[in-house]
Amino acid sequence: MNKPLTRERAGSWSWIFQAFTGALLLILLGLHMVAQHFIVKGGLRTYADVVTYISNPIIFVLEVLFLIVVTWHALLGVRAILFDLGLKPAAERRVTVILTVIGVAAVGYGVWLSATLVARGVS
Amino acid sequence: MSVEVEPKPVGRKPLQWFDVRGRRVGMWAYVAMRLSAIGLVLYLFLHLVILSQLAVGPSAWDGFVALAKSPAFLALDVILIVGILAHGLNGLRLTLVGLGIGVPRHKTMLWIGLVLTLALALLSALAIFAAEG
Repeated sequence: MNKPLTRERAGSWSWIFQAFTGALLLILLGLHMVAQHFIVKGGLRTYADVVTYISNPIIFVLEVLFLIVVTWHALLGVRAILFDLGLKPAAERRVTVILTVIGVAAVGYGVWLSATLVARGVS
Repeated sequence: MSVEVEPKPVGRKPLQWFDVRGRRVGMWAYVAMRLSAIGLVLYLFLHLVILSQLAVGPSAWDGFVALAKSPAFLALDVILIVGILAHGLNGLRLTLVGLGIGVPRHKTMLWIGLVLTLALALLSALAIFAAEG
């Protein structure tokens, strides 16, 4: 038998969350890649097309949901890697706080950016 | 304190992750998982920073789009897709095994994931470069 591949001290809730958000990402990232890139001529939208696209309420919600889930998954992964370095409990708490702030800022920025584009509209 | 039932690799120094000498194939998958994870996190934030060009305005964004369609950029896209597929499919395998599904088949699933990664990446590369050509 192989040894367990990873054991982080934070316990199993983060493993469960990572598996759950990971499964969601298979769907959300798949949608994002296909809808944003693969079906788009040349792979990237022009500014006007981006604004039209993100102004669709369903797309807006899906993209924001994707951003929340992917940021959470990414930063929880960073946290697991950092915890594997063998940090002291105080340092672990600091890491958690800093990563939470980064995550909230990233999601806030993404929502602001999307909302700004929608509000501006295509002129 | 709870009883330790398994040795924990906690405290492994970062460079030792990449030392795969004498390790089993699952350990290679572990290394690939960490490397792709770090790459994808960096990419996520790079992606968010680049999207700020949308806030700057139409000419800034459309200028970036023109740059992003250069062959060198498209090659980076293929590397990104390999990273996403490898990480995502191996993650799916780890989740299934963690839930107790297909435990005796975990190594087969690893190879299936690898084949799928290469096949889907190849298809993506063809789509990416065909769209350009």
